[in-house]
Amino acid sequence: MSAELANILRELIEKERLSALAVSANGFAFDPRSGQSFTVNHTGVATMELLLANHSIESTVGVLAKQYEMPTDVVLGSVEVFIRQLARYLA
Amino acid sequence: MSQDSEPRRGWEPPYIIPHRYDNSKFGRRIARDNCCHHIDGVDVEYLLSRYGSPLFIASERRLRDNVRRVRNIFERHYQPVIHGWSYKTNYTSAICNILHQEGSWAEVVSAFEYEKARHLGVPGNRIIFNGPNKGRAILERAIHEGARLHIDHIDELELIETIAKEQNKTVPITMRLNFNTGYTDPWNRFGFNLESGQAHSVVTRIKRSTQVRLTGLHSHIGTFILEPRAMSEQVRLMCQFMQEIEADGKCTIDALDIGGGLPSRNALQGIYLPPEQAVPAIDDFGEAVCTALSKGLAQRTAPPPLLFIESGRAVVDDAISLASTVVGTKQLPDGRAAAVLDAGINTMLTALWYHHPVKLTKPKPGNPVDTVLYGPLCMNIDVMRHSVYLPPLAVGDQLVFNPVGAYNNSQWLQFIEYRPPILLIHLDGECSIIREAETLPDLCRHDRLPAHLTSPGHVP
Repeated sequence: MSAELANILRELIEKERLSALAVSANGFAFDPRSGQSFTVNHTGVATMELLLANHSIESTVGVLAKQYEMPTDVVLGSVEVFIRQLARYLA
Repeated sequence: MSQDSEPRRGWEPPYIIPHRYDNSKFGRRIARDNCCHHIDGVDVEYLLSRYGSPLFIASERRLRDNVRRVRNIFERHYQPVIHGWSYKTNYTSAICNILHQEGSWAEVVSAFEYEKARHLGVPGNRIIFNGPNKGRAILERAIHEGARLHIDHIDELELIETIAKEQNKTVPITMRLNFNTGYTDPWNRFGFNLESGQAHSVVTRIKRSTQVRLTGLHSHIGTFILEPRAMSEQVRLMCQFMQEIEADGKCTIDALDIGGGLPSRNALQGIYLPPEQAVPAIDDFGEAVCTALSKGLAQRTAPPPLLFIESGRAVVDDAISLASTVVGTKQLPDGRAAAVLDAGINTMLTALWYHHPVKLTKPKPGNPVDTVLYGPLCMNIDVMRHSVYLPPLAVGDQLVFNPVGAYNNSQWLQFIEYRPPILLIHLDGECSIIREAETLPDLCRHDRLPAHLTSPGHVP
């Protein structure tokens, strides 16, 4: 886990970029800052819920790996990409 | 944000995709009725569960309505009109026979198509025989059976004269012309050119012949014509040529064949406007052709020539749909969604030049996203739609492409997959398979194994 990624996530949370995003149950997301809407898949929604509940990246990956019965390193790689996506679209 | 009420779904990498909005004056088009539950009242999902996927679904009702409509449009302005069913557009036997029952002749372009029309029971004198490759054997048969021969080149003319002499006949022939209307790219590889004087010199030659008699003129100026004035100019040029060659009284033309080329409501790639706006009504073509014909024949004293129209696409395209199933989904590196279908360009080759309209069989939750639809082939070009807005797709989702009736069941490829069946929905709602799905024995039937190759495991 890189420190860079942790910083990216911290910035998203501290600047309330993540919490400001309105996400419906079926994955429709709206960013009131930019007016941009998004589609988030079900694992994306689950990941955001965990991150907003103050789970660390490691903890989020652990919960998802257990919940979906997936290898931790596979989930970790996907979550890293997802956090970078969030930073690209919400920063 | 909880999704507790939804059934548990499997793992997929989390993603977030921004919604892109088309920067066009039409805005972002999401049809309100974005689903195709039924065709002619028959449930598409039921058909797929019973007959398998992919599945071509043909509507007898639509096919009959279409051919009646096309013929009536021309007959409103001019008579007599004969519709020649363009076999190459779709030569599935049942499709051909529906159209023959409606009074259409067979328009064929090869020995195979000629033999198929005869096999179906079409008499020779109701066959229009076009095409640049008519061998001696099939020409002998066609002449014997009284088919209408459309000559493409001078060598064919000489061969017809030879056969006519052997059969002690004078054979009526139709001459194919090519010219530039100014509206479409000239198809000058077929027939005899008008502007260069070639057509006139061939007529002079024919008039001297004792074995052939020129009775018809034919031209076909292109495919998916979007400009009715192109066909108006086509008819004007043909009538002018007819006047010129009839002037010496040595020939009388009894038929003008304006070929096909009428468009369907399909979305040709490279055309900016949607088909509802880009494609003129067939009525506009009928009026343009018949008005030009009236003007062109105004000074003529001979009986009005038969008008042959060889429309294929406008008759069959929207009468046939292709139902297909999603077998996999993925997210592309550029963020777009993609789905792999069980039907690709092997089944629907026209995806190479059309943006075929496609609908789900039932509504799906989720905001439509830019989606690429791939086929099942191991080829990068196997793309059914490069970009279409659909709700997020999942394995098992079923999609219906329409119109797909033109040129797919004749040009489809037997490449790594079996070709699927074609089902016909009858006028009374009953369904029957009109072409079986291919099987391994079908595909191996023509293979021959020399004795030393009968086993894969023994090296002699």
